[in-house]
Amino acid sequence: MPDRKMFWRIIRRLLSANRGRLLVILLALGAGATITAALLNLQVDAKRRLTSEFRTLGANVVVTPRNSGASANATLEESIASRIPKESEGGAVAAVSFLYVVAKASVLKQSSSSRAVVSGFRGDALSLVVPFQELSHAVSTHGNVPCGVGVGIARQLKAEPQAELVLRADGASISCPVGDVLAFGGSEDNQIFLPDLAATQRLANLPGRISMIQLSVPGTPQSIARYINALAQRIPDADVHGVRQFTEGEAKIYNRISGLLSATVGVVLVLTALCVMAAMTNVAMERRNDVGLMKAIGGATRRVLRLFLAEAALLGLVGGVLGAAMGILLSMWLGKAVFGIAARPRLIVYPVAVALTILVAIAGAYPLRRLANIRPAAVFRGET
Amino acid sequence: MFLRLVADSFSRRPRHKLLTGAALALGMAVATAALSVSLDVGDRLAREFRSLGANLLVTPQADSLPLEIGGVDYRPVNAGAYLPESDLGKLKSIFWRNNIIAFAPILETTAYVTTNPETSDPGKVSAAQEGVRTPVIGTRASSPVFSPDGSTFITGIEKTNPWFRVDGRWFSDSAGSLRRENVSMPPGFGHTYVSSPDECVVGAALAKGMNLQVGGAIYVKVPDSQEMQPYWPCTITGVLFAGGPEDDSLLMPLSRVQQLAGKPGQYRKLYVSALTKPEDEFGRRDPSTLPPADYDRWYCTPYISSIALQIKEVLPGADVRVIRRVAEGEGAILTRVRTLLWLVTFASLLAAALAVGASSAASVIGRRTEIGLMKALGAGSGTVGFLLMAEQMLLALVGGGFGYAVGILLARVVGQKIFGAAPEFSFLVMAVIVGLAAIVTLLGSAIPLRRASRYEPAPILRGE
Repeated sequence: MPDRKMFWRIIRRLLSANRGRLLVILLALGAGATITAALLNLQVDAKRRLTSEFRTLGANVVVTPRNSGASANATLEESIASRIPKESEGGAVAAVSFLYVVAKASVLKQSSSSRAVVSGFRGDALSLVVPFQELSHAVSTHGNVPCGVGVGIARQLKAEPQAELVLRADGASISCPVGDVLAFGGSEDNQIFLPDLAATQRLANLPGRISMIQLSVPGTPQSIARYINALAQRIPDADVHGVRQFTEGEAKIYNRISGLLSATVGVVLVLTALCVMAAMTNVAMERRNDVGLMKAIGGATRRVLRLFLAEAALLGLVGGVLGAAMGILLSMWLGKAVFGIAARPRLIVYPVAVALTILVAIAGAYPLRRLANIRPAAVFRGET
Repeated sequence: MFLRLVADSFSRRPRHKLLTGAALALGMAVATAALSVSLDVGDRLAREFRSLGANLLVTPQADSLPLEIGGVDYRPVNAGAYLPESDLGKLKSIFWRNNIIAFAPILETTAYVTTNPETSDPGKVSAAQEGVRTPVIGTRASSPVFSPDGSTFITGIEKTNPWFRVDGRWFSDSAGSLRRENVSMPPGFGHTYVSSPDECVVGAALAKGMNLQVGGAIYVKVPDSQEMQPYWPCTITGVLFAGGPEDDSLLMPLSRVQQLAGKPGQYRKLYVSALTKPEDEFGRRDPSTLPPADYDRWYCTPYISSIALQIKEVLPGADVRVIRRVAEGEGAILTRVRTLLWLVTFASLLAAALAVGASSAASVIGRRTEIGLMKALGAGSGTVGFLLMAEQMLLALVGGGFGYAVGILLARVVGQKIFGAAPEFSFLVMAVIVGLAAIVTLLGSAIPLRRASRYEPAPILRGE
């Protein structure tokens, strides 16, 4: 096909005619593709990362006995915890069972004692439910599990780390060494955290019972709502509800931030398109002579336009392929800078960014349409 | 001659200049919008995080240890210490008073709640007939607090706990209060309880359990109360969905609960919601070890710990604690999000710079012939460069200025859409935008101009 061969030859010539301009257009397209790919990748990743960031607020779903009301005695069957699905749409769910009992606490060989709430829990996931609290678990000298002591009660009992704490309730008595002293800034400051549910059940004389389960469910506000509904159907004998303080707040903040991100990405895309369009306009102005000549020797307007569009698409492809690759690398670095973990490259972003760049390049070539109206005679007479 | 050349260049190819100017203006508009939104967004986001609720808790210093399970205090009613309600206004007199967004005083007690007081004749009834034992939370829904400097501040639990959803409406804080003093009765009647009825809000779980509806009436009785009247009637104005222990409680105006608990003018807990700066390395240092200059800097920075100290200074006998769950989560997320937004802003500034740079480069490249002609007529490279630079700068000024105006409008629209409030005018943005327009245009033109200065006039004029 000599026709096609000629077509490509003209394009090659068009591209190499002015190196400087070629570079400017490629730079504009490539930079646009870089920023598009980086922002798209970061946006997908940031939204996901944001939802896991919200987990630093701690538990957002609780399972409590039905009609707990003012009676603290209502408890749940311990086996309910095993019916909680460990996975949600957003990732792994952390669940910790708690049993609360009021006990008399005192430090061994000391006279002062105080009534305190002992909060026994099971699961090593306490750090997920209360991640804002650093737990170091001092090494025990007695082989017992050390218990965390709230600052309030620690001050009251003058409990030093390593001291032996004795808890008494209903005739039963257990002891544990003091581990961490915990500051929550709430009523938990006056609780004793015992990481041994069975011992707490003995203390409370409630074998196999728990007071509540706290869950930390990752995911978008909608997926958390779906998880709560599914869980409520699965455990009909207990009350499952979101901690509105955190679910509501998270939903609000999440929507604002993702709205802002989307708006910025949209604006940057429009900007890139405009930038390419501006560069293409200058090309159109310069191509008057070329178009005049092509028309004069019999080139149909459609064919001439196709030539220029092919040129634009080719530029878009090259700029997009190079720029999008750079953009994904950039977003990985940005992700590391913001969230401490490199953003996972999303393969879908690459073709999307390349396609967008080609589209932008073709849209940017819109000013070339004006070339269709050029009258060859006017061009050759040197009229502008 | 110089000015004439510049003017001529604009009038001869107005369309061309218009296009380059438009590209410049659009780039600058986007840069302006991005910059003013992200400058403004820090404060707005911090305010947004206040929807997580209070981040400071004020309790009496001399208080006995609360025995709280699931938000219900199991201490005897009279144990522990209280704080005077009259001091609340002082919160708005601290250094960072404008950062205190809301506060809500709380006084809790336990009461028996029934819908049918006639059957419960005290003395004869068993505990089961007496009513449902319910935690009662006394608070302000939304009412003015008078600060020492004479201003008033409307606040209450509606603002500290924005996640509370009330079907119906909150009680009015003044309902039923102080009426013994206010109502003058004919002699012989003494004081009677006749004015506006008490209002209360019931938690969702309590409402379901007792089958209560908005508009219905319940009767509240406090055990060991000194009041003459055994049961206090109150109208249910709303049902509260809190998603917490409040769902099982009865909420009443603070003044009424003070009366029921025999603690007039006092409260036990105060939730404070304050706008803070996330704690950085400096904010985490122990203020007592800081040298005086650093201490002043710490005191005058809205860290949560310095606001806590300032509150402690104005409320004698109070212990101010940071609710770490809210404060630390907020700090961590806010820091991340701010970094993210700055990076995104930086990216859009970069894109704008490239757009402007590329279009000014393209406009210089398109004028090869003209440059060749000028040189052939004897103009030096410096003169040509200066002329073209002047033209570009003029374009940058006009385009940049126009873009700034459009950008401010765009920022208002975006701000309004996302945060419900337009960003405020910032002089910094204007300075940055004008500077950016000039630098980017110069840089964009400089490279092709340098090449242009090397052009040999002859081949260009021959059309090669």
